[in-house]
Amino acid sequence: MENLQILFDEVYTANYPKVTRLCMGYVNGDTAKAEDLAQEVFIKVWEKIGSFRKESSISTWIYRITVNTCLLQLRNTKIKTSANDKVLNNITEEAEENKLAYEVQLKSMYACINKLSKENKGIILLELEGVPQKDIAEITGYSHESVRVRVHRIKNELTKCVKQ
Amino acid sequence: MITFENLQAEWNNQPEFNIPEEGTKAITKKVSFLKRKQQITNIVLSITAIILIGFFFYVAAYRVNAAMYGLFLMIGSLAIRIGVEVLSVRKLRHLDMVLNTSVFKEKLVAYYKRRIKIHYILTPLAIIAYCIGFMQLLPVFKENLSSGFYTYIVVSSIVLLLILGLFIAKQIKNELSLLQELKTE
Repeated sequence: MENLQILFDEVYTANYPKVTRLCMGYVNGDTAKAEDLAQEVFIKVWEKIGSFRKESSISTWIYRITVNTCLLQLRNTKIKTSANDKVLNNITEEAEENKLAYEVQLKSMYACINKLSKENKGIILLELEGVPQKDIAEITGYSHESVRVRVHRIKNELTKCVKQ
Repeated sequence: MITFENLQAEWNNQPEFNIPEEGTKAITKKVSFLKRKQQITNIVLSITAIILIGFFFYVAAYRVNAAMYGLFLMIGSLAIRIGVEVLSVRKLRHLDMVLNTSVFKEKLVAYYKRRIKIHYILTPLAIIAYCIGFMQLLPVFKENLSSGFYTYIVVSSIVLLLILGLFIAKQIKNELSLLQELKTE
């Protein structure tokens, strides 16, 4: 039990920031919701850490739990896709007033990510986090080739959406 | 000109999240709390089931009439529907989060399809059984209660049924849209 606690502490410290950042992509950049989701993720990690078999790397294992938790929790933190355009416009107007181009683009990016299907959302967020495509394939269950094609397509879709 | 590389750079430039102090302690504490809560729920449900079964046997031994059947139907349909809901929530909580996303999604879709079946078949049956039970009780109410109170019971139960119907319809709509979203490639 003590060993598990030590392992969990290490895993938590090493992965909390990237898990939370990944969750941000699922909740349209809402920090509070992302932190709640991250806590849910680490609850699952704590419950399962004893059964971790090292068949994959610990970060791949955590990303699987993260993507699945975000998928599951969306029924509680649902953000209506139809409202996205409005959200995007409002965000853009607010941020433009503050002349923060960086924030405008980042928030536009979150709104555009939110428009993607749940699967594509997970894939592009993992890609943005710098997870190798081989690992993305392992996390999502798609073939490496399928992930490569999807990533290419989603990148174009996302860039086009942010440009608008 | 915005390129994906710009977006990637902006993503990377986001401020780092601070690791909460004593974050792991808060998590282990919450896990213990959830386990305790689950145990309490199990105890409450078991006691309720025992009381209901005991009550059925007690009443059945003395007076078996239409009104009692009505009562059985009302309590029984409610108990079955609540039991199914508890099992359903438990099933969702026990989905294996370590599966790859595609398999996990398939399981989630299957779960929501089962939920829709429950909503379309079991829930209407439970409501019908509940209403039949209630109608069997009405003559007893009419006989034993003042006409004002009787009218109040009839009207309030219709209003409650309508509110319940709206709530269920909203829930079905929500779960159908979740299912649709999950099926979208």
